[in-house]
Amino acid sequence: MKALMKHLLIQFRMDIRERGTLMTYYLIPLVFYLFIGAVFTSVNPLVKNTLAASMAVFAATMGAVLGTPVPVVKMRESGVLRAYRVSGIPGWAVPFIHGISAFLHLLIVSSIILITAPVFFCAGRPQDYTAFFLTLVMLLFSTIAIGMLIGAAARSQSMAVMLSQMVFLPTVVLSGIMFPASMLPEPLRMLGRLLVGTYAMEAFSGLAYGLATDFSAPWSILVGACIGILAAGLAMLRFRRMGKSP
Amino acid sequence: MPDSIRPSEAMELICAWHRIPPRRDLLNMFGLDPQSRKQYREMSTGQKRRLHLALALACDPAVVILDEPTAGLDVQGRAQLHEAIRRLRHSGVTILMATHDMAEAETLCDRVAILVRGRIATIGTPAQITSAGLGETRIILRTQKNCLLPGRDIGGARFVRQEEDYGTWLCRDAAASVVALLQEVQRAGDTVEDLRVERPSLEERFLELVERDAS
Repeated sequence: MKALMKHLLIQFRMDIRERGTLMTYYLIPLVFYLFIGAVFTSVNPLVKNTLAASMAVFAATMGAVLGTPVPVVKMRESGVLRAYRVSGIPGWAVPFIHGISAFLHLLIVSSIILITAPVFFCAGRPQDYTAFFLTLVMLLFSTIAIGMLIGAAARSQSMAVMLSQMVFLPTVVLSGIMFPASMLPEPLRMLGRLLVGTYAMEAFSGLAYGLATDFSAPWSILVGACIGILAAGLAMLRFRRMGKSP
Repeated sequence: MPDSIRPSEAMELICAWHRIPPRRDLLNMFGLDPQSRKQYREMSTGQKRRLHLALALACDPAVVILDEPTAGLDVQGRAQLHEAIRRLRHSGVTILMATHDMAEAETLCDRVAILVRGRIATIGTPAQITSAGLGETRIILRTQKNCLLPGRDIGGARFVRQEEDYGTWLCRDAAASVVALLQEVQRAGDTVEDLRVERPSLEERFLELVERDAS
């Protein structure tokens, strides 16, 4: 446990030193949040109601799906994973610590958004903070699991970026963070149901803000978590297989 | 190592997983500052190699395997790593090192095995290996009046080549051959300006073994 905590502390500090990670975890989500908060809320005042939630979904998806896979692929390509293994660090620990560190960073960003949105942009506050954080935990877990799966499956960094974009861009457009998913044509709405972001938005709206939702908010948390568990399981299998190869 | 890790953090990480206190003494031993805020990406190749070596020693292994440890290093980095390996050797750690650099093997190793086509062609101390086989000692000599040039065989010394004013002889008994050559110079009323006696190098022995294998 002590080793795990030490590793986590070092990984957390290393993430802060990495310019690319800082950009995807903090800078771009916060700049985008400020832009949406300043401009989009005057175009569509309804956005204010769930601004913190939608920007948390954006930040989590950006950080986890775009931010985590490339460093994982880089670690594999440069032999860092192998070096860790031969140094006596268990194979599972590296992606696990990487995921936990990403979780903490994205939790910080989401909390900044949650605290500042009502102050800066008169955004709606969640009625139920417990539900907000429960949904946020599900969102972070599932998106990081997807990020790890991409990192474990992609053969190169460019492929990882491509796969990440295939999840990130549809999430921005189809999950309801920019405009309500109910405004989308039926085929796109169905496509949106493959995304964790959609279920997170439904759960935020229904459970944390007490708004009407397209489908059951508690079930949204469950479905979102199931997607995360599936992705985490597949990523673990892939990492385990990597651990056996020389 | 990850690009953004610091040497002290790398040491803390490895030691934490081995449940031992961080071995900052090893960083000092290999000339790495434990307080350094330098990240791995900012370190020179030589510093990285020394860090790897320090990390490998963190849990006091009985045997360390080094594969081409000085490949790609500059002269200074190479000298520093050689010094680190020497210190390690004196501390009692067994080092198994693979290298293409025969001079490195000759200066650092207690025992050397020469591999030809994946098989051990010879094994022993550098002195044993170089004195085996043809094992001829080279005598390089220059005199004031070039009395021995153009060269000829003298005593047990076989003349092999002339380069400018220098003549080169090969012999088995270096002491007797040097005496014979000096007597010849004396007889001719000449004076020795430069005399070098070089025992066969590991590299020459290696080439000899490869040639023998090919033939």
